[in-house]
Amino acid sequence: MGEIIENVSFTATSAIHEFLKKTPLQDIINWGRKNSLWFLTQPMGCCGVEMIAAGCSHYDTDRFGIIPRVSPRQADVIVISGYVTKKYLPALKRLWDQMPSPKWVICMGDCSISGGPFYESYSTVQNIDEIFPIDVFIPGCPPRPEALIQGFIELQKKIMAREDKGSEY
Amino acid sequence: MNANNIIKSLTEKFPNEILEPNVESNIRISSYVDKDAIVNVCKHLLETLEFDHLSCECGVDYPDRNEIEVVYHIASYSHPVVLTLKAKLDRDEPQIESIVSIYWNANWYERETYELYGVKYTNHPDLKPLLLPEDMLGEWPLRKDYEGFPNKTAKNLV
Amino acid sequence: MEQTIAPSEMLLHLGPQHAIQPGPYLLDLKLRGETVVDAELEMGYIHKGIEKILENKTYLQGITITDRICYLAALTNNEVFCNCVEKLVGIEPPQRSQYIRVIMEELSRIQSHLLGIGEFSTDLGFVTMFLYMIREREEVLSLIDMVTGSRITHSYLRFGGVREDLPEGFAEKAMSVLNDINKKLDEHEDLYNTDKIYLQRTVGVGVLTAKIASDLGVSGPPLRAAGVAFDIRKNEPYLVYNDLDFKVCTEKEGDIFARIKVRLDEIRESIYIIEQAFDQIPQGPLFPVGTPYGRRTPVMRVPAGEVFCRVEDPRGEMGMYMISDGSDKPYRVKIRGPVFPTMQALPPLIKGTYVADVAAIAASMDGCTSEADR
Ligand code: SF4
Repeated sequence: MGEIIENVSFTATSAIHEFLKKTPLQDIINWGRKNSLWFLTQPMGCCGVEMIAAGCSHYDTDRFGIIPRVSPRQADVIVISGYVTKKYLPALKRLWDQMPSPKWVICMGDCSISGGPFYESYSTVQNIDEIFPIDVFIPGCPPRPEALIQGFIELQKKIMAREDKGSEY
Repeated sequence: MNANNIIKSLTEKFPNEILEPNVESNIRISSYVDKDAIVNVCKHLLETLEFDHLSCECGVDYPDRNEIEVVYHIASYSHPVVLTLKAKLDRDEPQIESIVSIYWNANWYERETYELYGVKYTNHPDLKPLLLPEDMLGEWPLRKDYEGFPNKTAKNLV
Repeated sequence: MEQTIAPSEMLLHLGPQHAIQPGPYLLDLKLRGETVVDAELEMGYIHKGIEKILENKTYLQGITITDRICYLAALTNNEVFCNCVEKLVGIEPPQRSQYIRVIMEELSRIQSHLLGIGEFSTDLGFVTMFLYMIREREEVLSLIDMVTGSRITHSYLRFGGVREDLPEGFAEKAMSVLNDINKKLDEHEDLYNTDKIYLQRTVGVGVLTAKIASDLGVSGPPLRAAGVAFDIRKNEPYLVYNDLDFKVCTEKEGDIFARIKVRLDEIRESIYIIEQAFDQIPQGPLFPVGTPYGRRTPVMRVPAGEVFCRVEDPRGEMGMYMISDGSDKPYRVKIRGPVFPTMQALPPLIKGTYVADVAAIAASMDGCTSEADR
């Protein structure tokens, strides 16, 4: 980072972002963000299969600019699609850290919300919402792909209304 | 290959090690086996009786008898008979010889039984946890007296 | 695997999240140049402890949990669970239920193979095929949805029968969809067989010979591709498979190409089975009459005893060992999934191959991590 000069904003500082957030320009930025929600495909359970199905030709989330990606570095949304176990949690956190901001989390299925059918298991982790800033919960076991699409649309609405947890206001 | 012949061949070869042989139907037989003889019995099964497919291996916990049973389901690619072999182990210190040298795919089954029940396999090439994180080793979650739920899992659900 | 490496070697971790994986597992590769000299697989990332949970649920509740063992073959998992309980209590589903079960399980086999082939194709970079396969799969899924009311976790089977009868007009609808798929399958196979790059990447790669495959305890399509005609539907017939005419699809080569060929053939064979089943299905009750067990027994006590049942899953031999102590919950349930040995066979199989082929070989085994971990 360069030297800080009074009354001059460098792009290297976050000052310009702070400034933009106060202007209507942010709405245009958000409009762009909401229309390119690329999600990370990391199937973790039964819901993962529905997530893949949602990304494919029949349900075609591309219509909303929601495209499946396989690398966390290219993704904006992580869909927790299934049971988080004690063994997988560190890896999942790492994936989350590797994603560039702004980034959002969607909880898909009962398992990731509350444990679902496996809440009494000795190896799963409960209360994911204390670990990740979750924007949308999609109930169902598994939710149908249509429900996932609706979840994404809710997320888009939240982004437009500046109420999401992914970007800081 | 017929169920009665298999039992006959086994009891003739191992009169003292094969206990309580039982023909449940013409494709299912079960028997207890002395835990020190398991490797020899398996070798005999593989070499002369065409049991070339270890279908499954698992543990069962019986706390009231203070025993852990290790159950082997041995099948074949050429005939439909499935043999259920059971070995009784002491629950406080379960230990049995590994059969990896005879059935290669016993490897992971034994690692799994080790971490879930605490059964020690001697002569196993690489006995370490398979499914659980390392720090859960020693809890033996599939034993009947495991105090997992609800003390160790769900926080505010129950 | 030794974690120490020589100066010319390198360790590569594939996973736990990687594009080639159907679910999280970790594949550690030791490379010398481009050759894999050693490999080790670590799993358990989605181990849910299903066996323990089943011990704490009544038999009826258990059905919903068995759905989630492998979500691509939920119906065969239901089948093996119900089969165990039926054997323990000594009932047999009536003919009509048995035929319905066969139809639904074969439909489930078709969708599982379609997804398996599709995922394999993406891992080769043949994404077009994936989209084609998913398109076909959606058609089959909506057929299953029509009967069971859900897409992948059905809980459709009950002890001694099935939950619901087939809806009206199902046979015609199903046959028109399946005939369509049959035709499209020929086109897809043409696409595979004429694609030079595809052939170069699959023919003669990842060869699993019959001897090695049976030593490693593999079952299902990878074994049949090596020439061993081992199929529980033939070896140890359950349901009405004895009355149906079908062949066990085998190939001789045992390479990736053969595995995919076996799956494509099995889809055709399943369609043929369903066709026969629709012709032969009798009218009649769905549940056995005159026994205390059946539809209206949410809490049932199962006589003490133990049983080991096997059915043919899309991925191979699915077994379940159940011990009952006479109460309303099973004493011990051991699930012997087909993927567990298949995944175990992966490290020896990829030893000595090029690192670029690892993805193709791993995907051609059609692993389902959820079932291996349970
Ligand atoms: S919520 Fe249900 S369908 Fe989804 S991962 Fe959990 S068990 Fe599977």
